[in-house]
Amino acid sequence: MRQFFAILKDSYREAVDGFVIYVMLGLSAILILIAASMSFTPVPPADAFSTIVPQFNIIVPDKGRSSAISIENRNTFKTSDVEPSGSGYKLRLTVSGETDRGGEFDPADAAGGKSDKPKGDTFRAAVARWAAVTGETVRVDEKGKVNKNKGAKGVDVALPTKFTVAEQRAVTSAQMEEFLKSQFFMHADMSATVTRVASTEEPTYTFDVTTTGGSAVKGWPHSAKLFFGAATLADDAPLGGTLWLMEDVAINRFGGTFTLLIGMIITSFFIPNMLRKGSVDLLISKPVGRAQLLVFKYIGGLTFMFLVTAFTVGGVWLVVAMRSGFWDPSFLIAIPMLTFTFAILYALSTLTAVFTRSAIAAMLISVGFAFFLFVFGQIKAVSDDALAEAGPNVKASFLKEYVVDFGHDALPRTRELDQLVRRAISDGTLTPAARKLLVRTEETPPLASTFGVSLFHIAWMLGVSCWWFSRRDY
Amino acid sequence: MAVIETRDLWKTYGRIEALKGVSLRVEKGQIYGLLGQNGAGKTTLIKILLGIVRLTHGEASLLGAPAGDVGARRKVGYLPEDHAFPNYHTGYSLMDYYGSLYGVSAAERKKRIPDTLEQVGIAGRMHYKIKTYSKGMKQRLGIAQALMHEPDLIILDEPTDGVDPMGRREIRELMTVLKERGHTIFLNSHLLGEVELICDRVAILQQGKLVREGTIAELTKTKGTFILGLLSGQVFPLEAVAKLGFAVLALPGTTGHFEVTLNEGQTIEPVMKLLSASGLTVTHIVEKKQSLEDVFITLVEGAEPGVDRKRRRARPVGGGE
Repeated sequence: MRQFFAILKDSYREAVDGFVIYVMLGLSAILILIAASMSFTPVPPADAFSTIVPQFNIIVPDKGRSSAISIENRNTFKTSDVEPSGSGYKLRLTVSGETDRGGEFDPADAAGGKSDKPKGDTFRAAVARWAAVTGETVRVDEKGKVNKNKGAKGVDVALPTKFTVAEQRAVTSAQMEEFLKSQFFMHADMSATVTRVASTEEPTYTFDVTTTGGSAVKGWPHSAKLFFGAATLADDAPLGGTLWLMEDVAINRFGGTFTLLIGMIITSFFIPNMLRKGSVDLLISKPVGRAQLLVFKYIGGLTFMFLVTAFTVGGVWLVVAMRSGFWDPSFLIAIPMLTFTFAILYALSTLTAVFTRSAIAAMLISVGFAFFLFVFGQIKAVSDDALAEAGPNVKASFLKEYVVDFGHDALPRTRELDQLVRRAISDGTLTPAARKLLVRTEETPPLASTFGVSLFHIAWMLGVSCWWFSRRDY
Repeated sequence: MAVIETRDLWKTYGRIEALKGVSLRVEKGQIYGLLGQNGAGKTTLIKILLGIVRLTHGEASLLGAPAGDVGARRKVGYLPEDHAFPNYHTGYSLMDYYGSLYGVSAAERKKRIPDTLEQVGIAGRMHYKIKTYSKGMKQRLGIAQALMHEPDLIILDEPTDGVDPMGRREIRELMTVLKERGHTIFLNSHLLGEVELICDRVAILQQGKLVREGTIAELTKTKGTFILGLLSGQVFPLEAVAKLGFAVLALPGTTGHFEVTLNEGQTIEPVMKLLSASGLTVTHIVEKKQSLEDVFITLVEGAEPGVDRKRRRARPVGGGE
């Protein structure tokens, strides 16, 4: 272990010797400072609940477990008497529905008279739909166009289900309370206790609600400002949505790409420098096996990347959490995932360096390969979407099946690793309802093949590097 | 047990034969010098011993283990020719790094680093970056890193390269001290005077072959030549001495000094008797001894300079020689 830590320390010294690392750390510090300049001001409770509860018209069937949504926009949700209570708020929620006969014909009602038959209503129907299994669904694209092809891009929407009056009347107060409790969680990530107040005439329903978690919850509307209030990022947008945009787009995509690029440039010098004539003799003459020496140096590069990523991502996470009061750790998954992505590219850099002993070659080939993987990932995504749009009966072309799909299966999965990070960020920041609307479930890649194929590539590239380094004369 | 032993050692780089059946043995506590022209195979031999280059044929052992053995390397200190230390280190941090690779504990390193750097005379600059060091200072640092872990065997490839005369003397003295402490030193140097001054045994490589090996005394033994000087104004009886069967010549640039060379089985006594009988006064008589440089020049005179010339045609290979 002494030798391992000595080589790690040497890699650190080498990394901090150049100016690039200071440029990188400076830019990371600026990013952290910008994040620290953000302010998140929660919308006052009465206004916040007025923004949250209208979203309750979006229902997730199967008690919130369905992948589809269902829309019932005939109910009106209103809040009143909002006041602080413990760690949350107390309020009164009034739901106004419309009469719903469930498609049953009532002659008295049709004649304009007063019917004695029991009536259903849209709120009861909504609760029944929430409790029932999903049923038939269609896929609706971003423009609101219905596509029956389940492979197409878009959101799954459950087709309206008719509930008979009897079925609607069977909905109990406890189910209504459970439904509303679920809706508070689904649309605001808020825990709530809901009690029906039986003082209003149906189809109007009144409930007493007590929430916990205060305003630092995903769905609470916030006003987000940048540069200590100088610029407005969002007005009355859910806190989680703003954080999602910032963490996923600004930090993970642009910040992550930048960090990987600079990391590859800095570390591409490590192994060629070690293999320089006059330097390699000194190292090989020490009591360390050659393969061990190379692997230790490789881990030194990874450690460097890990520390830089941890500084940037950890720093941004910390200041944003302090400024927003929202302490969700999912964003921190970007640290190991970016390091793992880097591990693939650095294994190629190591392989190139061992064969060519050239830092420039190592740098160009690893950066070029990263770009190639990105482009290939985009081609794969576009071709998958095109095939899905075409429908299940359309066969994949030869190019798609044997070049794009085979290439995807065989190449390191950097795109999937990025998708895993994005998934973790969206899980950590978005409300369950927002996730269903914004994140495609099929965007979650399988863990075993994503890590397995990537690890296989790291292993063979390092294995060949060690073999060549061990048998060469220096 | 020999500290270094090679038997019929061969190394080829493609068609180039860098070593051709070299056999030598270095005993514990010796300072052993390896001489040869550029490209003679000296550095290749050292690199094979340390596992930096693989042997093609034959046997090589270091401290009783096969050449390149990781365990044996723990007990060896090595200063390569044309070393390139990472410039981002200070002298101290480099010693600390290499000390860690040798498995020296942190406490020991803390104690030994300043002491060793003091020994080679650069302790005052140990916290400066190596990129600020002169060539001589880097050379001293190289020697220090080879000594710090108290190795049994110290292999030095051109240790005084780039060092000023005072520094060379200090390094020679240091090697003598190390020998007294029981270390074995394997020295590769072009500076024949230095080798002659400090080495117990010497081997001379020529184009990959071992052409001479022995103690300094054995290699520089006299050829039976005497320098004689007469009292000022006296004339040396050149013809009479030649008639006795001795080769004789007047030393150019001197007055009254002559060189008399004995044939096999002869002594100088007949010449002395002749001079005495002729009434001449001998003021100066010294038995001439050849230097190691003479031996070396005699051996390599007219020879091709090792494998360097051929290498220019061939693909560049790892070893310096």
